[in-house]
Amino acid sequence: MRVRFALNGEPVELDVRADETLLTVLRRDAGILSARESCGIGVCGACTVLVDGRPTSACLLLAPLADGAEVATAEGLGPDHPVVRAFAEAHAFQCGFCTPGMIVAATALLAESPSPSDAQIRHALAGNLCRCGSYVKILEAVRRAAA
Amino acid sequence: MRAAPEWLAPSSLEEALALLAERGDEALPLAGGTFLAALLNQRLIEPACLLSLARIAALGGIEGGEELRLGAMARHRDVELSPLVREGWPAVARAFGVVASPRVRNQATVGGVLADADYASDPPAMLCALGARAVARSAAGVREIPVEELITGYYETSLRPDELIVEVRVPRADRAVYRKFRTRSHEDRPCVAVAAARRGAETRVVVGAVAGRPQHFPELCRDGDAAEIGRRYADAIEPIADVRGSAAYRKRVIAVEVRRALEELAT
Amino acid sequence: MSRESILLGRVRYSQDRELPGMLHARVLRSPYPHARIVRVDASAVPARAVALTPDDVRGLGVYGCQIQDQTVLALDRALHAGDPVAAVAAATPDEAEDALALIEVEYEELPAVSDLEEALAGSVLVHERIRISDNDAAYFGIRPEQGTNVCHRFRILHGDFEVGLEQADVVIEETFRTPAAQHAPMEPHACLARWEGGRLELWTGTHTPFNVRSDLARVFGLAEEDVRVVVPPMGGSFGAKTFVHLEALTAALARKAGRPVRCVLPRSEEWVTNNRHPALLTVKIGATADGTLVAKRVDSWIDTGAYADCGPGVAQKIGYSAVGPYRIPHVHVESRCVYTNRPPNGAFRGFGATQAAWASERAMDLLADRLGLDPLELRLRNVLRDGDVFCTGETVRDVHFAECLERAAAAIDWGQGRSGKGLCVLLKGMQTPSRAQIAVEAADGGGYTIRCATAELGQGSRRALTLVASELLGAPLSEISFPDPDTDIVPYDTRATSSRSTYMMGNALEEAVRELRKDGRRGVGEFRNSGGLDPDTGQGVASSHWHQGAAAAEVRVDEETGLVEVVRLHAAVYAGRVVNPPGAELQNEGSMIMGLGSALFEAVSFADGQVVNANLSDYQIPSIADIPDGLTHDLLTKPGAEVHGLGETALPPVPAAIGNALGSLGIQTTELPLMPETVLAAIDRRDGGGVR
Repeated sequence: MRVRFALNGEPVELDVRADETLLTVLRRDAGILSARESCGIGVCGACTVLVDGRPTSACLLLAPLADGAEVATAEGLGPDHPVVRAFAEAHAFQCGFCTPGMIVAATALLAESPSPSDAQIRHALAGNLCRCGSYVKILEAVRRAAA
Repeated sequence: MRAAPEWLAPSSLEEALALLAERGDEALPLAGGTFLAALLNQRLIEPACLLSLARIAALGGIEGGEELRLGAMARHRDVELSPLVREGWPAVARAFGVVASPRVRNQATVGGVLADADYASDPPAMLCALGARAVARSAAGVREIPVEELITGYYETSLRPDELIVEVRVPRADRAVYRKFRTRSHEDRPCVAVAAARRGAETRVVVGAVAGRPQHFPELCRDGDAAEIGRRYADAIEPIADVRGSAAYRKRVIAVEVRRALEELAT
Repeated sequence: MSRESILLGRVRYSQDRELPGMLHARVLRSPYPHARIVRVDASAVPARAVALTPDDVRGLGVYGCQIQDQTVLALDRALHAGDPVAAVAAATPDEAEDALALIEVEYEELPAVSDLEEALAGSVLVHERIRISDNDAAYFGIRPEQGTNVCHRFRILHGDFEVGLEQADVVIEETFRTPAAQHAPMEPHACLARWEGGRLELWTGTHTPFNVRSDLARVFGLAEEDVRVVVPPMGGSFGAKTFVHLEALTAALARKAGRPVRCVLPRSEEWVTNNRHPALLTVKIGATADGTLVAKRVDSWIDTGAYADCGPGVAQKIGYSAVGPYRIPHVHVESRCVYTNRPPNGAFRGFGATQAAWASERAMDLLADRLGLDPLELRLRNVLRDGDVFCTGETVRDVHFAECLERAAAAIDWGQGRSGKGLCVLLKGMQTPSRAQIAVEAADGGGYTIRCATAELGQGSRRALTLVASELLGAPLSEISFPDPDTDIVPYDTRATSSRSTYMMGNALEEAVRELRKDGRRGVGEFRNSGGLDPDTGQGVASSHWHQGAAAAEVRVDEETGLVEVVRLHAAVYAGRVVNPPGAELQNEGSMIMGLGSALFEAVSFADGQVVNANLSDYQIPSIADIPDGLTHDLLTKPGAEVHGLGETALPPVPAAIGNALGSLGIQTTELPLMPETVLAAIDRRDGGGVR
């Protein structure tokens, strides 16, 4: 079946199976590499993308449900995006595998609460796992981006 | 190779119910799809047909009044953040707000979490404690099912194959609390969850995540102090054992957490 | 790998590497922990998919970095639930999955060895014969006990334990357990293989490209030069991606298919591929009334699962780590690596030091309690200082254990009451002996290229080395490139493990730059650390320099449920000279956070030989909401000192520091993780054992 959605502002039209996830088709057919499969069950956040502005696990969203939506990924952010800059300045990454998802989740948090408390940051990002354990600096990065 | 399931996406409830009446055996209703996508990813189900409810505008919405009306397609995150819910039913906002991550809450729905009947989800116990009812529709008619009768066991409900949950109605309470006791990470599902609500002289205590369905014993709440009721619940429940805790441990925590919930309710 | 490419998601990890015509692999695994494989029938697999069965690989060589005990697929017996018995390559991962379902395997279930106790009883042998590898094991003598499940026994004899014990006024004896844990790197194992003109080429996430090369050369009967291993950046590893895991199987599939094949491990299969060794340690330690340690005996058993992997090495490291950084005149250690019918266990950040410190440092607190001494005082009285002799007979230099302990204790206000507080000191060795080589080339268009086998796994070694090179060459960072390791091009290195890369390669780099200056085009530098331990006496040089650290924890306990809240956690680590301060901080913080997971809730759970929590919901790892507000650390530096790798030091002391903090409240635990249930049982014991 065909699904049409906007990907980082550009219209795309993809042929998908009804039981495929947005993550599968973004990676296979749309050239997206920043959203990554890690847990496959929506608990790790490595595949976080924005769907109509809301952070979503691309691995849990069946592709047909993205029809008509605005999908945004880390590819759509530039190096000068304030959250990206803040992550660079705070050295808030190690292996980098979770980082784009973390940044996407952080942009959504800051869009909703421009000056979040530490508790809010923790609550909003708790579902984005970083096994390298860069959390101290990720907290710092989000604080910086909010400032 | 494996055939792809058919995708049905009706735009009206009537159409959806007609499709369900016609193809109830092979069509799997799909709301937010978090649970079904996880099952599909692991190939635990291979449905012939997916019936998406996403285009049915009438199933959305959150309205307040004497009762809270949560549309079946209202998202967890909408319930969590709704000023109306936070104001009038704060424990409902909390129970939906502690589910998984913002990502899952952006996608998972009110109808979905009840129809999945996942024993470790947070909202069912809270809705049960508040005496909420699910409104189920089929082509043949409509009925209201108290949440505690809706969920009958692990991933099992009393819904008929041709029925859809269209709405959940939540009465007001004088006070309600939801306690989620985790034994591992902050991101873990509860080892023991306790929802409690007080309305006039009546107190309802429901324990979640310890058995196939929310555990409610009205007769145990009629008298006695908080500690006594906690002990009675611990005696009455035969808890499961899993990586979050053994059955014996859960019994001990049930006694403590029920008492704490009742103490919190009294404040 | 620029910063920008990491942040915006442009890094191509192994799982992202592609080649034209590439097929996707899936693995069929044994459902039984131990079974005879009667028949594997792949005839129903459609022709467009390629199935690999035991008969395809029967003639290939065996592999294993320390013991040659692995075949490409299980041949006649499956040795653990999850042991690969067949594999399929197809156009898509989905089609490969479909094809797996068409393979019929007939098993005959055999009695299985499910834990250390059963393994030692010896009624079932996991391997009939134990064959030592000439590869990694060349570095130390392996002492298999043929006819048993013990594949290596390492011993330390220092002084005379029995004589020492007679001098002791107080003796503590206790047994401690650590469970299996899962590395859970965010990127699973992934490997891409291609055969080109009789040569095998692999793109694979591994710390050990040269080891993979030699093992695969042996499997396929090739010259080492005919195997090329390229290492893209890894999305984390923590030890998971050391030695051969997917590579042999993927290469065999690619050879049969005549096309490139990529295998990306589904998350659930990580738990049957490589975990941390469960360990059982009995510690007997004696001191005189004034708190002077006089004798220590350690008996250690680690469960290496169905294949040894680097288990013998872990047993050796546990052997001396469990003695701890103390002056003890009489020491006897027996450390054994044992086969079971469990998934293989291998290198895990800390390499045995976590299990060792849990036992050794909990025992120290029990001893302090019995002596009525402050646990800090007891440690300071006995801790190794410059010029002291360790149990291996080596004299230690540049050691700062006392300072690490004092800094850690001060960070949690040790002097102002010890209730709810605990300490742990850590000694961890570095791979010894080993050899590292690095080349620096002057690039044609100006600038420099660094060629070495140090793989990027998020630890920042390559960044640190680039910074060192920039300083040595007097060239800006932008002029230095550092391509992915490629065994066709880079000089030899033992491996990027045991937090050795920055130190070893950093030293080799100095020579490389000197040679480059002479040659003008290319300079190669080599650095070796020499030493090693006699496996029968434990005497020699365990480590050419020591990773040193201490942790301090303060906890609050919900005594009704056993739930532990870590209020403050501090690690003090000796860093020598720091090359890349943010990288060093990240390594420390990351280690501490992983240590929190190990301390509080991480454990691989089994039922009937099967892993029951093989997903990231049932196996939890720490989230940002789990880190204490009071998570702090110190990097102890010394001008002009050697660079010390920091990848692992702050993890191993965390669980014991938390366990000792509980101990200060009378809550005495011997088993990790400190799940509320375990803690509540200890509270019951303290309070006289009543339930409710």
